[in-house]
Amino acid sequence: MRSIPGRRSARGSAVAGIATGTSMAALVAMLVGCRAELAPPIPTASSRDTEARRGGTLHLASMADIRGLDPAGPADGLSGAAMHLIFAGLVDFDEHGRILPDLADHWELADAGTTYRFVLREGVRMHDGEELTAADVKRSMERALHPSSPDPNASYFDGIAGYAAYASGRAEHLDGVVVEGRYVVSFRLSQPDATFLSVLALLSPRPVCKTGGDRYVDTWLPCGAGPFKLLAGRWQRGASLRLERHDGYFRAGLPYLDAVEWTYNEQPLAQRFGFEAGEVDLLREMTQADQTRFASDARWRPFGTRDADVSLYGEAMNTRVPPFDNVEVRRAVAAAIDREHYRLLKPGYVTPLTQPIPRDIPGHDPDLPCQRYDHAAALEHMRLAGLPYDPATGLGGWPKPIEYLLYDKGLPVWTAQVLKQELASIGLRIELRLVSFPAFLAIQQRPGGAAMSLGSWSMDYPDPSSFFEPLFTSGAIGAESSSNAAFFSNLRFDDLVARAHRELDAERRRTLYDEASSILCDEAPWAFTFSYHWFEERQAYVRGPVFNAVWIVDPTRTWLDRAGSPAGSTLGSSSVGSGR
Amino acid sequence: MTLFEFLARRFAWSLGVVWAVVSIAFVVNVLIPGDAARLVAGPQARPADVVHIREQLGLDRPPLVQYARFWARLVHVGPRERPRERPRERGGDHTSCAVAIPLGRAAVHVDFGKSFQMRQPVVDVIAERLPRTLALALAGMLLQLVFGAATGVLAATYRGTWIDRGLVGMSLLGVSAPTFLIALVLQLVLARELRWLPLDGYGTTLGEHALCLVLPATTLGIYGAAYYTRLVRDEMITLLAADWVRTARAKGLSASRVVLRHALRNALMPVVTAAGLDFGALMGGAIVTETVFRWPGLGQLSVNAMLNRDSPVVSACVIVTSAAIVASNVVVDLLYGQLDPRVRDARAGGTR
Repeated sequence: MRSIPGRRSARGSAVAGIATGTSMAALVAMLVGCRAELAPPIPTASSRDTEARRGGTLHLASMADIRGLDPAGPADGLSGAAMHLIFAGLVDFDEHGRILPDLADHWELADAGTTYRFVLREGVRMHDGEELTAADVKRSMERALHPSSPDPNASYFDGIAGYAAYASGRAEHLDGVVVEGRYVVSFRLSQPDATFLSVLALLSPRPVCKTGGDRYVDTWLPCGAGPFKLLAGRWQRGASLRLERHDGYFRAGLPYLDAVEWTYNEQPLAQRFGFEAGEVDLLREMTQADQTRFASDARWRPFGTRDADVSLYGEAMNTRVPPFDNVEVRRAVAAAIDREHYRLLKPGYVTPLTQPIPRDIPGHDPDLPCQRYDHAAALEHMRLAGLPYDPATGLGGWPKPIEYLLYDKGLPVWTAQVLKQELASIGLRIELRLVSFPAFLAIQQRPGGAAMSLGSWSMDYPDPSSFFEPLFTSGAIGAESSSNAAFFSNLRFDDLVARAHRELDAERRRTLYDEASSILCDEAPWAFTFSYHWFEERQAYVRGPVFNAVWIVDPTRTWLDRAGSPAGSTLGSSSVGSGR
Repeated sequence: MTLFEFLARRFAWSLGVVWAVVSIAFVVNVLIPGDAARLVAGPQARPADVVHIREQLGLDRPPLVQYARFWARLVHVGPRERPRERPRERGGDHTSCAVAIPLGRAAVHVDFGKSFQMRQPVVDVIAERLPRTLALALAGMLLQLVFGAATGVLAATYRGTWIDRGLVGMSLLGVSAPTFLIALVLQLVLARELRWLPLDGYGTTLGEHALCLVLPATTLGIYGAAYYTRLVRDEMITLLAADWVRTARAKGLSASRVVLRHALRNALMPVVTAAGLDFGALMGGAIVTETVFRWPGLGQLSVNAMLNRDSPVVSACVIVTSAAIVASNVVVDLLYGQLDPRVRDARAGGTR
């Protein structure tokens, strides 16, 4: 028979355990507590007006990992940040998201807006030393859009003449991309397209080296014409990526940095430790507490940056499912939400929003009379819907609980609690259905899958079409995979958005989008709630532009001006997959 | 039953276990909501692109067809050398295979398919990650057993004294503290403040790998050692009170010989059982520890694969984990025979 520890022993061990636990907790508290105070910025080597100089490695870190580095393959926001440094495009986005020429010297629009003719810069050297020509542009485009390619953005180019035949394998070549000379390439479109330059600035069509061939293969070492290049063995999946300076980059003298290095799967606390030690040069993913500390610390304030508002959050109401098939109920929801309550949940990151275009997207109108918080008006809309509710007695409203679908990560879990209270005050009882992100997408994107759900969207490119078309048009509704989570269908809206897509005159286009916005404000397929922006901190020695509205970071013109040598080597080293 | 018969039986039984576990994983993967093609394409991809990717991955086929294709592909005969590029015509793609057994000009291949997300042959991913997880599991297990046995023996030997209370108290703390807390304390003290060890990561050289292994292995060691301390202590207290131990002492054997040679050896039976199960579980990946320390092993891989509905990777991880658990159980059975002659004799069909 096993012996049972005696009472004295058990009590003694409990006391010892408590004592040891207390001392361990005190140790942790002491260590964390003494570091609640931020370390000061690492000094710079010279004054602010010093000229840029070459050298050094910019170290970045992220909680996430990248999926791929081939422009014709699956990617994500994080891999986009690296890929746009490896692959230059004909056009690109500047730090504010505006289109500017890159590999193209200039372009012209012809044939009533259906032909874009690009003249390439001459003498552009790719990472393999070969010169970029118009044939490379066409080959790369065909490589990305070939039916054997896993490009998840291929259909963005369905406006190019001959796309349907090529993407289905019926045609050997993409007829709409025409090589007109060694440095001249034309894109012929089936109709005018105001978004074409923005789409062309995305990653898929960016020219790849001849080593990339004319078909996608998984084993290719990415090679392009961007400011940084990837050498073999410098990408360790799940751990790190190092890009080296491309000495033959076509913009003379750039980039200033010798290398850019990312560490992946790094927890926010470890990122902060590394940032304070000078082993991570930019800090983006931080806890709310750390964000408050950095934002309120006078030593750090000059180096903090508020990212652009380019994402849209809201409460998507399924317009085919009761009670949201009644427009008055949707209007009631839009009026019942006090967006300021959402902002208070994460003040450094949330900007209240009452319209479908985020603040830093062209077309946003701060004076647009759209949705706004008005509790009395919300009650009136409930009455008009035939569901009068008396807040004093709690009688009335929609009799059944409404399922609200969301995923189990971060901010949405908090905003759902606020929403629940706001809607209860007008007689709508919601029950939260918390699921994993894959399950969330599968349920939300199926007709009838969710009566109400969290709506969120980030721009693909800075343009209203990047929000209106996937979120609210009838064409975005499918049997599965509907990005129109409200299953909203309005012929007038569809027509306005389609015309705006084709309209090349900026002013007329804006008018069309204004009218489309008004329909969304009134019909309320979503109650628009907020846009989310990041807060970024840089070390003082990181000079020049470094953040980009589309690519997150763009260190092409960034340089380092650090006093002394990097901190001790125990925590970090310059090698890929370092011990950090 | 000879040793060969014993192993053969266990091997056949293992195949059944692995088949059952993988089949359950497959069914679960089909039943739970989530579209692997959508997750590959991205949450904002257009429906047409999602459909295209679904077709490319073969996810548009009925689940039973996918299941049959998985098993048909898992072990098959192919060329002796693994081709680097897939053929342009359909069929005969062996680019994601591992050559397991060469057979003249042909070979037996093992093929888990390609990862949906990473687009790499899963055999390559597993081959890269498995040694890392094995290293972490072995190092963690070793520390658990060494610390656990040492403190357990000490606590039992000095039962009722402050040494016993202190060690039992610490083991209580170790068992109660979640691994992420232990990891955080170790990171704060040893990496951040004292800067003796890397905070996290895996490194590139053998020396860096070893240095990076210290903190995660110690985390697992502290967490698991606490359990073994209590296990060994309780066993030792029982055994030290047994008649045969008193006899051994009466014969004049030294205290250390009685404790270490006689009592501890017998106390190891339940320890070996628990260690076998623990080691199998660790081979599935110490998920929290791997995540906190960015140790790129199977735990991190399998969690990400599950979240992304990357079923080729999930199936491979399940096979590797269940095979590891089965293998460690076989080793435990063999060790029983070494530790206790009665078990060996019973297995041989004889009696003492």
